[in-house]
Amino acid sequence: MKRPYQITAVFLFLFSVFVAYESYKLRYYTPLGPGPGFFPFWLSLVLAALSVAMFYQATFKESEPMPDDFFDSKLGYLRALAICGAWVWATAFLKPLGYRFTMMVFFPFLLLTLGRVRWYTIILFTVLGSVGGYWVFTRVLRVVLPLGPFDGLFEPIDDFLESFISIFGK
Amino acid sequence: MDAFQFLMNGFIICFQPLNLLFAILGCLLGTIIGVLPGVGPAAGTAMLLPMTFGMPATSSIIMLSAIYYGAMYGGTITSVLVNVPGEAASAITCLDGYQMAKKGRGGAALAVAAIGSFIGGTVATMGLVLLALPLTAMALKFGPPEFFSLMFVGLSLATSLASKSMIRGLISTVLGLLFAMVGIDPVMGNPRFVFGQTDLLDGFGIIPIAMGMFGIGELLLIAEGSKTTVINTKLREMWLTWREFKASVFPIIRGTLIGFFMGLIPGVGVLVPTFLSYGVEKRLSKHPEKFGTGMIEGVAAPETANNAYCNAAMIPLFTLGIPGSAVIAIIMGAFMMHGLIPGPFLFKEHPEIVWAVIASFYIGNAVLLIMNLPMIPMWVSMLRIPTPLLYTVILGFCVIGAYSVHESVFDVGLTLGFGILGYLYKKLDFPIAPTILTIILGPMMERAMRSSLDMSRGDFTIFFTRPISVGLLVLAAIFVVSSFFRASAVIKKDTVI
Repeated sequence: MKRPYQITAVFLFLFSVFVAYESYKLRYYTPLGPGPGFFPFWLSLVLAALSVAMFYQATFKESEPMPDDFFDSKLGYLRALAICGAWVWATAFLKPLGYRFTMMVFFPFLLLTLGRVRWYTIILFTVLGSVGGYWVFTRVLRVVLPLGPFDGLFEPIDDFLESFISIFGK
Repeated sequence: MDAFQFLMNGFIICFQPLNLLFAILGCLLGTIIGVLPGVGPAAGTAMLLPMTFGMPATSSIIMLSAIYYGAMYGGTITSVLVNVPGEAASAITCLDGYQMAKKGRGGAALAVAAIGSFIGGTVATMGLVLLALPLTAMALKFGPPEFFSLMFVGLSLATSLASKSMIRGLISTVLGLLFAMVGIDPVMGNPRFVFGQTDLLDGFGIIPIAMGMFGIGELLLIAEGSKTTVINTKLREMWLTWREFKASVFPIIRGTLIGFFMGLIPGVGVLVPTFLSYGVEKRLSKHPEKFGTGMIEGVAAPETANNAYCNAAMIPLFTLGIPGSAVIAIIMGAFMMHGLIPGPFLFKEHPEIVWAVIASFYIGNAVLLIMNLPMIPMWVSMLRIPTPLLYTVILGFCVIGAYSVHESVFDVGLTLGFGILGYLYKKLDFPIAPTILTIILGPMMERAMRSSLDMSRGDFTIFFTRPISVGLLVLAAIFVVSSFFRASAVIKKDTVI
């Protein structure tokens, strides 16, 4: 684990320098005592010292051997990347497209990339996760989820579910 | 009114059908979370938090607490039956629990875990009832210097106990404190490290961080890694033999005591009491060499300690307003979302909520005991759900959870950022818990420190001239020095990094 810890230590040291610089721009001390820059400045110094200690230990002390699975298969990285990609999609389109349309891409994409799933399972989970999930969270659990410009298309489904629940309620 | 009367009132509120339903539902969901590998109690609680937004505060906290200790028990099932710990606290149970299952005593292992969890949890809750009012009265005498010193004790413990490496533990703590600096300065109101981003003015929310670092980080690691081989074992008999019963009595008592006292100390983490109680049993046993081959003591003690710890860890939260672990920090976040500030004033201002939640711990522990044993085959069948389906659903829940706290897509993006950070933490063996704890404790600590210095006009000796503050700082120094010596011993013996 020598090299990963050396790289981490260098990165942490650079981060601590950045934090120290940003803290320096804030007020360090006021007539009433420490200012907003006091705490982060000292923390950045502690982080810098720790990163130096980490680099020293990684370089000059005997290090743990790197686990066999530290660098896993290429396919594994692609799967992890797929999760990140789906999440980026959700972040970017949740507001402009609304929850239901965003998740209509999010769910099948993940199901297709994370492993082998039958086509009807993909359709079922996409509908349940997007339309069903929206309905349960907004109507039953009273959680606000974003609506998009095309959500009017779901009105018949919403009406049907509302009438179904009202019959059930009676 | 004394504690007993308050508790009885709490039971009356807790037995209201809605609250009872949420306690049962929380136990069910918690057990599912515990059973599923990759979704620990912290990520699970954060993920399910949005479900409680529309609920009254009491029901919401009752359900989240039930999720917490349900997850702790759920982790045991997979540890015993398939040798896969559902959450970290159950890892030690794999050693003897799985061996018992291979010998056809898996049912007995689960039964003793359930009974031990019930006893440990119930005794710890009794401790909470007895200690709540005296500790609250003491906490009300605390001023900012004492609070600063108390939080310093919590931090020193979190750092020294949460990691194999002291340096990595300290770095995790400092990073958490730095993340906590983002947002409006708690004393003067100046924005810090926001870089013009208005979403950052309130700082990083605990939910995106916990969900990202524990949940998304773990899922990325699972997606990247190779698949775990799940070995199914048969469940034959749920009843303990007389010999097993006799062998479990003292480990359960010792596990309860260890778990309870460890739960009182903020920052210890659930791994310490479970490993400690296992170690104690091994040391006290006439046959230490048989540990790891299916000794019931090796299941009874850590599982009892685990649940006793979880219930006792609520004591610092309720009485002092200090979260002892990452999950408790999330539950504290839930309190805050309902406009409640955990701590001594909560007992004064909202006794009906606090005591109902405490009463729900008894009910939750009983529900887990009654519900879980007959339902074990169902929990195990959940492990057969294909991973793409399971993880897609979990990720969908996480998106909703991240968005719905502040109805912010910025938080959704932030969750991924912290997910990648959590992945790197796990890859490089950095402990996550100190970061989560310090994100909660950081602003409180800074406020206490700066208010103290405001009181003393900038004189740092204020921390060393007040008896309680000095006592706490000495305690913190002892913890830091002892862990330093322990780390030095490790350097000489082996390696630290």
